[in-house]
Amino acid sequence: MVTIRFEAVTQCFHGRTIFGPLQAELASGRVVAVTGQNGSGKSTLLKLAAHLLLPTAGSVVVTADGRALKGDSLRRRMAMVTPELRFYPRLTARENMDFLLGLRGITLDEIAYRALLNRVELREQEIGTAFAGEFSTGMRQRLKLAVLLASGADIWLLDEPGANLDMAGRKLIVREARQAADEGRLVCWATNDEREEAAADAAIHLAGH
Amino acid sequence: MQQSIWQGIKLVFRKELVAGLRFKAAWAAMLMFALTTLACVSMAMQGGMLEPRLLAALLWIILFFASLAGADRVFADEDTVGTLLALRIYGRSQAVLMGKMLYTFFLMVVLATFITPLFVLLLDVTVTVPGLLVGVLLLGCGGIAAAGTLVAALTTGANIHSSLFSILMLPVILPVFLPAISLSAASFGGGEGAISYLAGMGLYDLILVVGASLLFDYLWYED
Repeated sequence: MVTIRFEAVTQCFHGRTIFGPLQAELASGRVVAVTGQNGSGKSTLLKLAAHLLLPTAGSVVVTADGRALKGDSLRRRMAMVTPELRFYPRLTARENMDFLLGLRGITLDEIAYRALLNRVELREQEIGTAFAGEFSTGMRQRLKLAVLLASGADIWLLDEPGANLDMAGRKLIVREARQAADEGRLVCWATNDEREEAAADAAIHLAGH
Repeated sequence: MQQSIWQGIKLVFRKELVAGLRFKAAWAAMLMFALTTLACVSMAMQGGMLEPRLLAALLWIILFFASLAGADRVFADEDTVGTLLALRIYGRSQAVLMGKMLYTFFLMVVLATFITPLFVLLLDVTVTVPGLLVGVLLLGCGGIAAAGTLVAALTTGANIHSSLFSILMLPVILPVFLPAISLSAASFGGGEGAISYLAGMGLYDLILVVGASLLFDYLWYED
Protein backbone atom coordinates (compact mmCIF):
# COMPACT_ATOMS: atom_id res chain seq x y z
CA MET A 1 0.00 0.00 0.00
CA VAL A 2 1.58 3.26 -1.17
CA THR A 3 0.43 6.67 0.07
CA ILE A 4 1.50 10.21 -0.67
CA ARG A 5 0.54 12.62 2.08
CA PHE A 6 0.62 16.39 1.64
CA GLU A 7 0.84 17.96 5.08
CA ALA A 8 0.09 21.69 5.12
CA VAL A 9 2.01 22.13 1.87
CA THR A 10 2.43 25.64 0.56
CA GLN A 11 4.34 26.39 -2.60
CA CYS A 12 5.67 29.80 -3.57
CA PHE A 13 7.77 30.90 -6.53
CA HIS A 14 9.58 34.25 -6.43
CA GLY A 15 7.46 35.35 -3.48
CA ARG A 16 4.16 34.46 -5.17
CA THR A 17 2.06 31.80 -3.47
CA ILE A 18 0.95 29.21 -6.02
CA PHE A 19 -1.19 27.13 -3.68
CA GLY A 20 -1.52 26.13 -0.08
CA PRO A 21 -1.73 25.24 2.62
CA LEU A 22 -2.77 21.92 1.09
CA GLN A 23 -3.77 18.86 3.08
CA ALA A 24 -4.35 15.76 0.97
CA GLU A 25 -3.63 12.06 0.77
CA LEU A 26 -3.25 9.92 -2.33
CA ALA A 27 -3.44 6.16 -1.95
CA SER A 28 -2.79 3.18 -4.18
CA GLY A 29 -5.76 1.64 -5.94
CA ARG A 30 -7.25 5.00 -6.81
CA VAL A 31 -7.08 7.50 -9.64
CA VAL A 32 -6.89 11.05 -8.33
CA ALA A 33 -7.25 14.01 -10.66
CA VAL A 34 -5.59 17.32 -9.89
CA THR A 35 -7.53 20.13 -11.51
CA GLY A 36 -7.31 23.89 -11.67
CA GLN A 37 -6.75 26.69 -14.10
CA ASN A 38 -3.42 27.32 -15.82
CA GLY A 39 -0.81 28.42 -13.31
CA SER A 40 -2.69 26.99 -10.33
CA GLY A 41 0.17 24.59 -9.58
CA LYS A 42 -1.01 21.22 -10.95
CA SER A 43 2.37 20.29 -12.44
CA THR A 44 4.12 21.63 -9.34
CA LEU A 45 2.00 19.37 -7.15
CA LEU A 46 3.11 16.33 -9.18
CA LYS A 47 6.77 17.37 -8.86
CA LEU A 48 6.29 17.73 -5.11
CA ALA A 49 4.73 14.26 -4.99
CA ALA A 50 7.74 12.91 -6.89
CA HIS A 51 10.15 14.72 -4.55
CA LEU A 52 11.61 16.50 -7.55
CA LEU A 53 10.88 19.74 -5.75
CA LEU A 54 10.86 20.71 -2.08
CA PRO A 55 7.78 22.52 -0.78
CA THR A 56 8.18 26.07 0.51
CA ALA A 57 6.35 25.02 3.68
CA GLY A 58 4.91 21.76 4.95
CA SER A 59 5.99 18.28 3.90
CA VAL A 60 5.23 15.60 1.33
CA VAL A 61 5.58 12.13 2.81
CA VAL A 62 5.57 9.04 0.63
CA THR A 63 5.19 5.70 2.37
CA ALA A 64 4.96 2.08 1.28
CA ASP A 65 3.46 -0.25 3.88
CA GLY A 66 4.25 2.29 6.58
CA ARG A 67 7.89 2.72 5.51
CA ALA A 68 8.97 6.13 4.25
CA LEU A 69 10.21 6.25 0.67
CA LYS A 70 12.92 8.77 -0.17
CA GLY A 71 15.63 9.31 -2.72
CA ASP A 72 16.41 6.23 -4.76
CA SER A 73 13.85 4.03 -3.00
CA LEU A 74 11.11 6.44 -4.14
CA ARG A 75 12.42 6.98 -7.67
CA ARG A 76 12.57 3.22 -8.32
CA ARG A 77 8.85 2.90 -7.62
CA MET A 78 7.76 5.97 -9.55
CA ALA A 79 7.21 6.89 -13.17
CA MET A 80 6.00 10.09 -14.77
CA VAL A 81 4.46 11.26 -18.00
CA THR A 82 4.85 15.01 -18.28
CA PRO A 83 5.31 17.48 -21.13
CA GLU A 84 8.73 18.34 -19.64
CA LEU A 85 9.94 14.76 -19.97
CA ARG A 86 11.88 14.39 -23.21
CA PHE A 87 13.53 11.47 -24.94
CA TYR A 88 17.06 11.54 -26.30
CA PRO A 89 16.54 13.07 -29.75
CA ARG A 90 19.39 11.16 -31.38
CA LEU A 91 18.42 7.76 -30.06
CA THR A 92 15.70 5.59 -31.56
CA ALA A 93 12.56 4.63 -29.64
CA ARG A 94 14.06 1.24 -28.86
CA GLU A 95 17.36 2.76 -27.73
CA ASN A 96 15.57 5.26 -25.50
CA MET A 97 13.46 2.52 -23.94
CA ASP A 98 16.41 0.18 -23.48
CA PHE A 99 18.38 2.95 -21.79
CA LEU A 100 15.71 4.28 -19.43
CA LEU A 101 14.30 0.87 -18.53
CA GLY A 102 17.80 -0.60 -18.33
CA LEU A 103 18.60 1.92 -15.61
CA ARG A 104 15.80 0.27 -13.62
CA GLY A 105 17.18 -3.19 -14.37
CA ILE A 106 14.45 -4.02 -16.89
CA THR A 107 15.31 -5.59 -20.21
CA LEU A 108 12.76 -5.91 -23.01
CA ASP A 109 13.06 -8.73 -25.48
CA GLU A 110 11.76 -8.31 -29.02
CA ILE A 111 8.39 -9.91 -28.26
CA ALA A 112 7.78 -7.74 -25.18
CA TYR A 113 8.86 -4.65 -27.11
CA ARG A 114 6.42 -5.33 -29.97
CA ALA A 115 3.63 -6.14 -27.53
CA LEU A 116 4.26 -2.83 -25.76
CA LEU A 117 4.18 -0.89 -29.02
CA ASN A 118 0.86 -2.57 -29.88
CA ARG A 119 -0.50 -1.75 -26.44
CA VAL A 120 0.19 1.97 -26.87
CA GLU A 121 -0.89 1.79 -30.54
CA LEU A 122 2.47 2.78 -31.99
CA ARG A 123 3.25 1.20 -35.33
CA GLU A 124 6.74 -0.23 -35.49
CA GLN A 125 7.17 0.57 -39.17
CA GLU A 126 6.50 4.25 -38.34
CA ILE A 127 9.10 4.55 -35.63
CA GLY A 128 11.47 1.85 -36.94
CA THR A 129 14.96 3.30 -37.07
CA ALA A 130 13.88 6.95 -36.77
CA PHE A 131 15.35 9.03 -33.97
CA ALA A 132 12.99 10.14 -31.21
CA GLY A 133 13.67 13.76 -32.20
CA GLU A 134 11.85 13.10 -35.46
CA PHE A 135 8.65 11.83 -33.81
CA SER A 136 5.40 13.77 -33.73
CA THR A 137 4.30 15.01 -30.30
CA GLY A 138 1.57 12.36 -30.22
CA MET A 139 4.07 9.59 -30.96
CA ARG A 140 6.36 10.88 -28.23
CA GLN A 141 3.44 10.91 -25.80
CA ARG A 142 2.63 7.29 -26.65
CA LEU A 143 6.30 6.38 -26.20
CA LYS A 144 6.26 7.99 -22.75
CA LEU A 145 3.26 5.84 -21.94
CA ALA A 146 5.09 2.75 -23.20
CA VAL A 147 8.04 3.46 -20.87
CA LEU A 148 5.63 4.05 -17.99
CA LEU A 149 3.87 0.73 -18.61
CA ALA A 150 7.10 -1.21 -18.96
CA SER A 151 8.65 0.38 -15.87
CA GLY A 152 6.34 -1.58 -13.57
CA ALA A 153 6.20 1.48 -11.29
CA ASP A 154 3.48 1.51 -8.65
CA ILE A 155 3.29 5.31 -8.46
CA TRP A 156 2.05 6.94 -11.68
CA LEU A 157 2.26 10.71 -11.89
CA LEU A 158 0.72 11.96 -15.11
CA ASP A 159 0.73 15.58 -16.17
CA GLU A 160 -1.82 16.33 -18.91
CA PRO A 161 -1.43 12.74 -20.19
CA GLY A 162 -4.02 13.19 -22.93
CA ALA A 163 -2.35 16.28 -24.34
CA ASN A 164 -1.36 15.92 -28.01
CA LEU A 165 -3.25 12.64 -28.30
CA ASP A 166 -6.18 11.88 -30.57
CA MET A 167 -9.44 10.48 -29.20
CA ALA A 168 -8.16 6.90 -29.35
CA GLY A 169 -5.06 7.95 -27.44
CA ARG A 170 -7.10 9.66 -24.72
CA LYS A 171 -9.25 6.57 -24.32
CA LEU A 172 -6.10 4.51 -24.08
CA ILE A 173 -4.78 6.70 -21.25
CA VAL A 174 -8.01 6.44 -19.29
CA ARG A 175 -8.17 2.67 -19.84
CA GLU A 176 -4.56 2.09 -18.76
CA ALA A 177 -4.87 4.37 -15.72
CA ARG A 178 -8.02 2.59 -14.59
CA GLN A 179 -6.40 -0.81 -15.06
CA ALA A 180 -3.33 0.36 -13.13
CA ALA A 181 -5.47 1.55 -10.22
CA ASP A 182 -7.40 -1.73 -10.27
CA GLU A 183 -4.06 -3.52 -10.02
CA GLY A 184 -3.26 -1.52 -6.89
CA ARG A 185 -1.17 1.30 -8.32
CA LEU A 186 -1.37 4.90 -7.20
CA VAL A 187 -2.40 7.08 -10.13
CA CYS A 188 -2.45 10.85 -9.95
CA TRP A 189 -3.05 12.96 -13.02
CA ALA A 190 -3.11 16.67 -13.54
CA THR A 191 -5.73 17.53 -16.09
CA ASN A 192 -8.08 20.13 -17.48
CA ASP A 193 -9.93 17.54 -19.55
CA GLU A 194 -13.44 16.97 -18.22
CA ARG A 195 -13.48 13.33 -19.37
CA GLU A 196 -10.22 12.59 -17.56
CA GLU A 197 -11.54 14.35 -14.46
CA ALA A 198 -14.76 12.33 -14.65
CA ALA A 199 -12.79 9.08 -14.95
CA ALA A 200 -10.98 9.73 -11.66
CA ASP A 201 -12.11 8.40 -8.28
CA ALA A 202 -11.38 11.67 -6.52
CA ALA A 203 -10.14 15.13 -7.36
CA ILE A 204 -7.96 17.79 -5.78
CA HIS A 205 -8.98 21.20 -7.05
CA LEU A 206 -6.35 23.90 -6.89
CA ALA A 207 -8.04 27.26 -6.79
CA GLY A 208 -4.91 29.30 -7.37
CA HIS A 209 -4.02 32.56 -5.65
CA MET B 1 14.04 -5.15 -10.11
CA GLN B 2 17.34 -3.85 -8.71
CA GLN B 3 19.93 -2.59 -11.13
CA SER B 4 23.57 -3.01 -10.18
CA ILE B 5 25.58 0.22 -10.17
CA TRP B 6 28.04 -1.22 -12.67
CA GLN B 7 25.28 -2.10 -15.15
CA GLY B 8 23.95 1.44 -14.77
CA ILE B 9 27.40 2.95 -15.33
CA LYS B 10 27.80 0.88 -18.50
CA LEU B 11 24.39 2.00 -19.79
CA VAL B 12 25.11 5.69 -19.15
CA PHE B 13 28.59 5.41 -20.70
CA ARG B 14 27.20 3.66 -23.80
CA LYS B 15 24.39 6.19 -24.15
CA GLU B 16 26.87 9.08 -23.90
CA LEU B 17 29.13 7.47 -26.46
CA VAL B 18 26.34 6.75 -28.97
CA ALA B 19 24.77 10.21 -28.56
CA GLY B 20 28.22 11.85 -28.68
CA LEU B 21 29.22 10.04 -31.87
CA ARG B 22 25.91 10.92 -33.53
CA PHE B 23 25.99 14.62 -32.53
CA LYS B 24 29.77 15.14 -32.37
CA ALA B 25 29.50 18.73 -31.02
CA ALA B 26 31.59 18.06 -27.90
CA TRP B 27 34.15 16.02 -29.84
CA ALA B 28 34.45 18.66 -32.54
CA ALA B 29 34.71 21.56 -30.06
CA MET B 30 37.46 19.89 -28.06
CA LEU B 31 39.49 18.62 -31.00
CA MET B 32 39.20 21.84 -32.98
CA PHE B 33 40.24 23.95 -30.00
CA ALA B 34 43.24 21.71 -29.33
CA LEU B 35 44.25 21.59 -33.00
CA THR B 36 43.92 25.34 -33.51
CA THR B 37 45.98 26.13 -30.41
CA LEU B 38 48.61 23.59 -31.32
CA ALA B 39 48.85 24.89 -34.88
CA CYS B 40 49.18 28.50 -33.65
CA VAL B 41 51.96 27.63 -31.18
CA SER B 42 53.76 25.50 -33.73
CA MET B 43 53.68 28.21 -36.41
CA ALA B 44 54.70 30.92 -33.96
CA MET B 45 57.72 28.88 -32.83
CA GLN B 46 58.94 28.39 -36.43
CA GLY B 47 61.13 25.46 -35.42
CA GLY B 48 62.58 27.19 -32.34
CA MET B 49 63.32 25.15 -29.21
CA LEU B 50 61.48 25.65 -25.93
CA GLU B 51 62.43 24.76 -22.38
CA PRO B 52 60.89 21.43 -21.21
CA ARG B 53 58.93 23.21 -18.45
CA LEU B 54 57.44 25.67 -20.95
CA LEU B 55 56.62 22.82 -23.31
CA ALA B 56 54.89 20.94 -20.51
CA ALA B 57 52.89 24.03 -19.53
CA LEU B 58 51.83 24.48 -23.17
CA LEU B 59 50.70 20.86 -23.46
CA TRP B 60 48.54 21.11 -20.33
CA ILE B 61 47.13 24.49 -21.30
CA ILE B 62 45.98 22.94 -24.57
CA LEU B 63 44.49 19.89 -22.84
CA PHE B 64 42.86 21.87 -20.03
CA PHE B 65 41.26 24.53 -22.19
CA ALA B 66 40.17 21.97 -24.77
CA SER B 67 38.48 20.05 -21.95
CA LEU B 68 36.63 23.23 -20.96
CA ALA B 69 35.12 23.27 -24.43
CA GLY B 70 33.68 19.78 -24.07
CA ALA B 71 33.62 18.48 -20.50
CA ASP B 72 30.98 20.96 -19.34
CA ARG B 73 28.47 19.49 -21.80
CA VAL B 74 27.90 16.22 -19.93
CA PHE B 75 24.98 17.68 -17.99
CA ALA B 76 24.38 20.90 -19.93
CA ASP B 77 23.35 18.99 -23.06
CA GLU B 78 20.82 16.98 -21.04
CA ASP B 79 19.46 20.22 -19.63
CA THR B 80 19.28 21.89 -23.05
CA VAL B 81 17.39 19.08 -24.79
CA GLY B 82 15.23 18.45 -21.71
CA THR B 83 16.31 14.85 -21.01
CA LEU B 84 17.60 15.61 -17.51
CA LEU B 85 14.16 14.97 -16.00
CA ALA B 86 13.93 11.50 -17.57
CA LEU B 87 17.44 10.76 -16.34
CA ARG B 88 16.55 11.96 -12.83
CA ILE B 89 13.43 9.80 -12.73
CA TYR B 90 14.96 6.59 -14.10
CA GLY B 91 18.67 6.83 -13.26
CA ARG B 92 20.36 6.18 -9.94
CA SER B 93 22.62 9.01 -8.87
CA GLN B 94 25.86 7.04 -8.64
CA ALA B 95 25.34 5.26 -11.96
CA VAL B 96 24.70 8.59 -13.70
CA LEU B 97 27.68 10.32 -12.08
CA MET B 98 30.16 7.51 -12.63
CA GLY B 99 28.91 6.77 -16.17
CA LYS B 100 29.34 10.40 -17.15
CA MET B 101 32.68 10.66 -15.38
CA LEU B 102 33.93 7.56 -17.19
CA TYR B 103 32.78 8.98 -20.51
CA THR B 104 34.54 12.32 -19.85
CA PHE B 105 37.69 10.39 -18.92
CA PHE B 106 37.41 8.45 -22.18
CA LEU B 107 36.93 11.71 -24.10
CA MET B 108 40.00 13.23 -22.42
CA VAL B 109 42.11 10.14 -23.11
CA VAL B 110 41.09 10.22 -26.79
CA LEU B 111 41.96 13.92 -26.90
CA ALA B 112 45.34 13.37 -25.22
CA THR B 113 46.08 10.40 -27.50
CA PHE B 114 45.34 12.56 -30.54
CA ILE B 115 47.06 15.75 -29.40
CA THR B 116 50.20 14.54 -27.59
CA PRO B 117 51.88 12.80 -30.59
CA LEU B 118 51.09 15.85 -32.75
CA PHE B 119 52.50 18.11 -30.04
CA VAL B 120 55.69 16.04 -29.84
CA LEU B 121 56.03 16.03 -33.62
CA LEU B 122 55.21 19.66 -34.38
CA LEU B 123 57.22 21.17 -31.51
CA ASP B 124 60.09 18.73 -31.92
CA VAL B 125 59.90 17.50 -28.34
CA THR B 126 62.19 14.74 -27.08
CA VAL B 127 60.38 12.45 -24.69
CA THR B 128 63.05 10.94 -22.46
CA VAL B 129 60.72 9.08 -20.07
CA PRO B 130 57.65 8.00 -22.11
CA GLY B 131 56.23 5.86 -19.30
CA LEU B 132 56.12 8.85 -16.97
CA LEU B 133 54.39 10.97 -19.62
CA VAL B 134 51.72 8.30 -20.17
CA GLY B 135 51.16 7.99 -16.40
CA VAL B 136 50.88 11.78 -15.96
CA LEU B 137 48.50 12.09 -18.91
CA LEU B 138 46.24 9.34 -17.53
CA LEU B 139 46.15 10.83 -14.02
CA GLY B 140 45.69 14.35 -15.39
CA CYS B 141 42.82 13.23 -17.62
CA GLY B 142 41.32 11.42 -14.61
CA GLY B 143 41.47 14.60 -12.52
CA ILE B 144 39.93 16.73 -15.26
CA ALA B 145 37.17 14.15 -15.78
CA ALA B 146 36.32 13.88 -12.06
CA ALA B 147 36.41 17.61 -11.40
CA GLY B 148 34.74 18.45 -14.71
CA THR B 149 31.81 16.10 -14.16
CA LEU B 150 31.12 17.39 -10.66
CA VAL B 151 31.45 21.06 -11.61
CA ALA B 152 29.29 20.46 -14.70
CA ALA B 153 26.59 18.95 -12.47
CA LEU B 154 26.84 21.87 -10.04
CA THR B 155 26.57 24.52 -12.74
CA THR B 156 23.80 22.91 -14.81
CA GLY B 157 20.80 25.19 -15.05
CA ALA B 158 22.78 28.34 -14.29
CA ASN B 159 22.25 31.17 -16.77
CA ILE B 160 25.99 31.74 -17.12
CA HIS B 161 26.79 28.05 -17.14
CA SER B 162 29.95 28.13 -19.29
CA SER B 163 31.55 31.06 -17.47
CA LEU B 164 30.72 29.57 -14.09
CA PHE B 165 32.15 26.23 -15.19
CA SER B 166 35.49 27.78 -16.16
CA ILE B 167 35.69 29.87 -12.98
CA LEU B 168 34.94 26.96 -10.65
CA MET B 169 37.02 24.46 -12.57
CA LEU B 170 40.36 26.28 -12.27
CA PRO B 171 40.85 26.20 -8.46
CA VAL B 172 39.56 22.62 -8.26
CA ILE B 173 41.93 21.37 -10.92
CA LEU B 174 45.07 23.33 -9.92
CA PRO B 175 46.36 20.58 -7.58
CA VAL B 176 46.33 18.26 -10.61
CA PHE B 177 47.55 20.82 -13.09
CA LEU B 178 50.73 21.96 -11.28
CA PRO B 179 52.29 18.52 -10.61
CA ALA B 180 51.21 17.43 -14.10
CA ILE B 181 53.29 20.26 -15.61
CA SER B 182 56.24 19.45 -13.39
CA LEU B 183 56.14 15.72 -14.18
CA SER B 184 55.56 16.27 -17.91
CA ALA B 185 58.60 18.57 -17.93
CA ALA B 186 60.61 15.78 -16.30
CA SER B 187 59.45 13.37 -19.00
CA PHE B 188 60.69 15.90 -21.61
CA GLY B 189 64.15 15.81 -19.99
CA GLY B 190 63.67 18.81 -17.71
CA GLY B 191 64.95 17.50 -14.36
CA GLU B 192 63.92 14.69 -12.08
CA GLY B 193 60.29 13.75 -11.74
CA ALA B 194 59.43 13.28 -8.10
CA ILE B 195 57.42 10.10 -7.73
CA SER B 196 55.64 11.71 -4.78
CA TYR B 197 54.01 14.14 -7.26
CA LEU B 198 52.63 11.20 -9.20
CA ALA B 199 51.27 9.63 -6.02
CA GLY B 200 49.86 13.02 -5.01
CA MET B 201 48.03 13.33 -8.33
CA GLY B 202 46.58 9.84 -7.92
CA LEU B 203 45.48 10.64 -4.38
CA TYR B 204 43.87 13.93 -5.42
CA ASP B 205 42.04 12.17 -8.28
CA LEU B 206 40.71 9.68 -5.76
CA ILE B 207 39.60 12.48 -3.42
CA LEU B 208 37.81 14.17 -6.32
CA VAL B 209 35.99 10.96 -7.28
CA VAL B 210 34.96 10.18 -3.69
CA GLY B 211 34.01 13.83 -3.02
CA ALA B 212 31.94 13.98 -6.20
CA SER B 213 30.23 10.72 -5.30
CA LEU B 214 29.32 11.99 -1.81
CA LEU B 215 28.10 15.37 -3.03
CA PHE B 216 26.17 14.16 -6.04
CA ASP B 217 23.39 12.46 -4.07
CA TYR B 218 22.45 15.86 -2.63
CA LEU B 219 22.19 17.28 -6.14
CA TRP B 220 20.26 14.34 -7.55
CA TYR B 221 17.67 13.78 -4.84
CA GLU B 222 15.70 16.71 -3.44
CA ASP B 223 14.76 14.95 -0.20
